[in-house]
Amino acid sequence: MKAVVSRGKYFIYPIVVFLLLILLFPFFVMVSTAFKPLEEVYANPPHWIPREVRLQNFVDIWSKYPLGAYFRNSFIIAAGTTLLNMALCIPAAYAAARINFRSKSLVMYLFLVVQMFSPVIVIISLFKIISSLGLLDNLFALVLTNGVFTLAFSIWLLSGYFRSIPKEIEEASLIDGCSRLQSVVRVLLPVAMPGLVTTIIYTFITAWNEFMFALTFITSMEKRPLTLGLYNFIGRWTVQWHYLMAAALLALLPVVFLFLFIEKELVQGLAGGAIKG
Amino acid sequence: MFRKMIAREAKIAFWCLLPAVAFLMVFMFYPIFYVILMSFFKTNRLGNLVSYTGLGNYRFLFRRPEFWTIILRSCVWTALAVAVKTAFGLVIALSLNTDFWGRKVARSLVVIPWASSVPISAMLWQWTYNNDFGLLNHTLKTLGIWKNPPVWLAYPKPAFFANLWVDIWCGIPFMALVFLAGLQAIPTELYEAADIDGASSFAKFRFVTLPLLSGVLTVATLLSTLWTFNDFNVIYILTKGGPANSTDILITYIYKYAFQYLRFGPAASMAVITFIILLAVSIIYARAYFRERS
Repeated sequence: MKAVVSRGKYFIYPIVVFLLLILLFPFFVMVSTAFKPLEEVYANPPHWIPREVRLQNFVDIWSKYPLGAYFRNSFIIAAGTTLLNMALCIPAAYAAARINFRSKSLVMYLFLVVQMFSPVIVIISLFKIISSLGLLDNLFALVLTNGVFTLAFSIWLLSGYFRSIPKEIEEASLIDGCSRLQSVVRVLLPVAMPGLVTTIIYTFITAWNEFMFALTFITSMEKRPLTLGLYNFIGRWTVQWHYLMAAALLALLPVVFLFLFIEKELVQGLAGGAIKG
Repeated sequence: MFRKMIAREAKIAFWCLLPAVAFLMVFMFYPIFYVILMSFFKTNRLGNLVSYTGLGNYRFLFRRPEFWTIILRSCVWTALAVAVKTAFGLVIALSLNTDFWGRKVARSLVVIPWASSVPISAMLWQWTYNNDFGLLNHTLKTLGIWKNPPVWLAYPKPAFFANLWVDIWCGIPFMALVFLAGLQAIPTELYEAADIDGASSFAKFRFVTLPLLSGVLTVATLLSTLWTFNDFNVIYILTKGGPANSTDILITYIYKYAFQYLRFGPAASMAVITFIILLAVSIIYARAYFRERS
């Protein structure tokens, strides 16, 4: 039997390498282009590897384009969405995990179904709501709308995490004279920190990556978040692909890094019970 | 006394859930209600309701041949994309489930396309597809895989497949990871027992892996169906539905009707149709999910 396993090992490498080449190809293109000088970007036939590595591209994008503002806007939107989401989802997730009440499964069912809807269905009405609130071209509009579309999954994720923590630790603190709120804040939340971090990172990344709401609600140049800002590299100016790729590289790095931390929990949260069996 | 405690508990639950539910009411359920309402009205270019038309907007849509083309295309788009994502995901999961040196690194690398945002990925692909300076066609030609690759984004058919591929590419990692998690939950004793019975690799896959993976498969494909049907970013960024609406699916078409043509009424009725389709699939999904859990 051992022999079978190790025989399998050798032909696994070409398969894995092939699959990875397919999956990583555009990132290779991104990195390669990000370091090319202009003449080389428009070389035909194109070069896979830049002949001359141009770090200046990264300096240029910061000085020539409002990239700093884009980063700041994305950060404000993502942080704001995260705060709003946490304020709403922690109590809701607590109730879902710890309290039995009538119609609880109905409420959870509703959250699950809500999570599936495309923002496009409601964007027409959201546009009206946002404009009647006077929030068009305001970053707060994106905080609200991203908050709506991350809330349901956050509640699911966090309540699942709360449920995995034994009830007894809170009960012990109640016996010791803590109030209910104290037992949550001092005992449950610290123990649930990994789950909280996962939910926070998930919300942050989703808001950071959002595109359509920004496209619809933001009109002025200086209020664009990164995704929209980069998109407007295409078309607005004749596309400077090396600049766009350099900017994309900068925009992706922090998010990919954060994402790797929480990927396992996200997979489990999204497919949920089906995996735990 | 016990009764009172339950009532108290219910009260706490109520106040805990109220903010979240109220928020969803205002920004999710009310908008859904409003879009349904709007679909029965004539609207002006600002999206204000002007006069009641009953089923006028729906009739307008149903009479247009391109509407049916787009419905059909949305279905083909979803079916093809989900099938390919599932197949790729399964192959990756099975490969990563075997024990080899460097598996951890490979696993992290597989995640990257999922972690990178769809809008930015679509922009990367747009440059990769570039006919003169992009590396995709150059690579295909140089390696002799495809001597005459099409100009991807310029003509209807290639553009459709180019969009489809980017959607697939973005979705593969999630499928792979879910399947991998599912595979790792299968007890190894089952494979050992199958080995003792002298089962071939295929028999093991057919009679052990597949049945035990079926729950995960159902939930993941349903979820992926919803996401694929909803994919706005890829198409909007790559081709904006063009050339000549040839790559529009329902979701991008709604957006175009509302914010480009400023015809909010028909856009709203399309949104309602989409809503009904998604609701049906979501309910099937939610049921499968709850069945798997219990």
